[in-house]
Amino acid sequence: MTIRKMLLASAAVACAAMPVSAVAETSAKKIALSNNYAGNSWRQAMLTSWEKVTGEAVKAGIVAAADPFTTAENQATEQAAQIQNMILQGYDAIVLNAASPTALNGAVKEACDAGITVVSFDGIVTEPCAWRIAVDFKEMGRSQVEYLSKKIPDGGNLLEIRGLAGVFVDDEISAGIHEGVKQFPQFKVAGSVHGDWAQDVAQKAVAGILPSLPDLVGVVTQGGDGYGAAQAIAATDRKMPIIVMGNREDELKWWKEQKDAKSYETMSVSIAPGVSTLAFWVAQQILDGKEVKKDLVVPFLRIDQDNLETNLANTQAGGVANVEYTQDDAIKVIEAAK
Amino acid sequence: MSPVLRLFGKPWIWSWLAAFVVWFLTVTVSLGGGTLGLSQAALTFAAFSIIVGIGQMFVITLGPGNIDLSVPATMTLAGTVALKLMNVENGMILPGVLVAIVIGLVVGLCNYSLIKALRIPPIIATLSVSFIVQSAAIWTNRGLRIKPPSLLADFTTSNTFGIPNVAIVALLISIFAWFLLEKTIYGRWISAIGQSMPAARMAGIPVDGTRLVTYLFCAVLASVAGYLLACFSGGAALNMGSEYLLMSIAVVVIGGTAVAGGDSNVPGIWGASLFMFLVVSMLNTYGLGAGIRLIMTGLIIISVIMLAGGRRAGMR
Repeated sequence: MTIRKMLLASAAVACAAMPVSAVAETSAKKIALSNNYAGNSWRQAMLTSWEKVTGEAVKAGIVAAADPFTTAENQATEQAAQIQNMILQGYDAIVLNAASPTALNGAVKEACDAGITVVSFDGIVTEPCAWRIAVDFKEMGRSQVEYLSKKIPDGGNLLEIRGLAGVFVDDEISAGIHEGVKQFPQFKVAGSVHGDWAQDVAQKAVAGILPSLPDLVGVVTQGGDGYGAAQAIAATDRKMPIIVMGNREDELKWWKEQKDAKSYETMSVSIAPGVSTLAFWVAQQILDGKEVKKDLVVPFLRIDQDNLETNLANTQAGGVANVEYTQDDAIKVIEAAK
Repeated sequence: MSPVLRLFGKPWIWSWLAAFVVWFLTVTVSLGGGTLGLSQAALTFAAFSIIVGIGQMFVITLGPGNIDLSVPATMTLAGTVALKLMNVENGMILPGVLVAIVIGLVVGLCNYSLIKALRIPPIIATLSVSFIVQSAAIWTNRGLRIKPPSLLADFTTSNTFGIPNVAIVALLISIFAWFLLEKTIYGRWISAIGQSMPAARMAGIPVDGTRLVTYLFCAVLASVAGYLLACFSGGAALNMGSEYLLMSIAVVVIGGTAVAGGDSNVPGIWGASLFMFLVVSMLNTYGLGAGIRLIMTGLIIISVIMLAGGRRAGMR
């Protein structure tokens, strides 16, 4: 009896003490990563960054736990069930890379109603109660054409490699590219294929359309498809056009080889997989009681001719050029949005 | 019946006709400029679908319910492990091939053990094996892209007398498969099992042994295709097999093989594989949007299957 009373009493004290300490710090808070897909190098790098940065944060006692969970089938229904499990397990915040911008809104709302902070990044959700860390994908597409207009003032024909049909990111980048072509009318998109952000798919699609295309001066891409395009063009007797790369290690390595052999010039742009760590710190800041705007913008990572070597050296074999964010970076992004 | 009419009675002729029409329509747009380039590209990329398609065809021939969904995962695992083992050294090419084949054998054995010992339907058994295999690939690879040995990379990307080398490999495998199917007792056995398993058992055919060998054969072909594809595209990627799941089944069906089993043919796989590559190229060349392109691909495939199937029913 007495033991039970003591337990009850201590539990009551703990409950009473909780809200006070929660405002001040986050050492008792548990954060979960809900991820919809792990089957490519970008996602692998994203998970590795998460483990590295949050592992240190847990060791330093900044948060109590930061567990990553990935669904097997890249299905919105499966991920919704996963989020519901996280609510039951009592996480304080969920960092989310969503399978769909709208299909998870119900589960996200449930989490919000349970008092859980939801921060979505990369694959963002439209539910108003969640935070969004988005990339300006349109600008990413437009800046490629702008770069080409400086390299080739006379313009010419472009080949556009798109991503996965029907995905929001693909539409955004493509819209940016077409905006760029409008801005620099000396360029014309002579052909467009879907490369699904995978080198082998892009290689196949490019090899299929190349025979019917006129001379190309540039290839605009979405990342993960530049090396495949280069392989397909190298198999023909065409002159190698400027292929904009997407920060993958194989793409950067190929670019370096071409740069050394025939002073080939291009640039490379993509979103850094380490954005997962930025989302982690933003979630931590929100739990800490900071006022954070619901929509944040993260800059994309661009590599140019002169910093190619440093970036290649920092990119692990088979990975993606990466930036891992710190707590200070997150605070800066939050301040910038205000 | 005249020879021409008899030719039209063959179930595989429709996929060949479709491939030719699509090829012709694509070439006319570029005014004959890229004829050679397009044909070589079609042969190269069709080769991979042909190799996995033949394996899938043997499994589907075994009768209703038989299918191998572990094809993409097997391709990925074989590609990643073999390239990691070879580690860009030309001397390791042979061990690399052997490892790929062993991976195929192990996956095939797992598939059939689940089907037979635990009595799980093939569609579930091969799907669960594919999860395990794909996880193994993620675990060994972690997104690493190791280049193939230079000899292999040159071999898979170059031509002999204008014909891509991978297409020649696919041709050799096809001749072997055709011989197995048409000229050996094993080929008769799988057709008999596909037509009626109880009847085949009564007739004294070693049903389990035959089915096991067929699942092994399919997995080995998938791993060989994965090995070649990884060498061809300059390294293995974790998602390199994903499009070959539907592709391997589609080329079997379009090629005129009976989905209910018991009746299959090798030439149809060639026509269907060329067709599947060319139809995407054609729609890309005409510059149609992604939505229209996918709808058109679906409609064209349905009409080819209807033509092939309808014609066949009339002939019988």
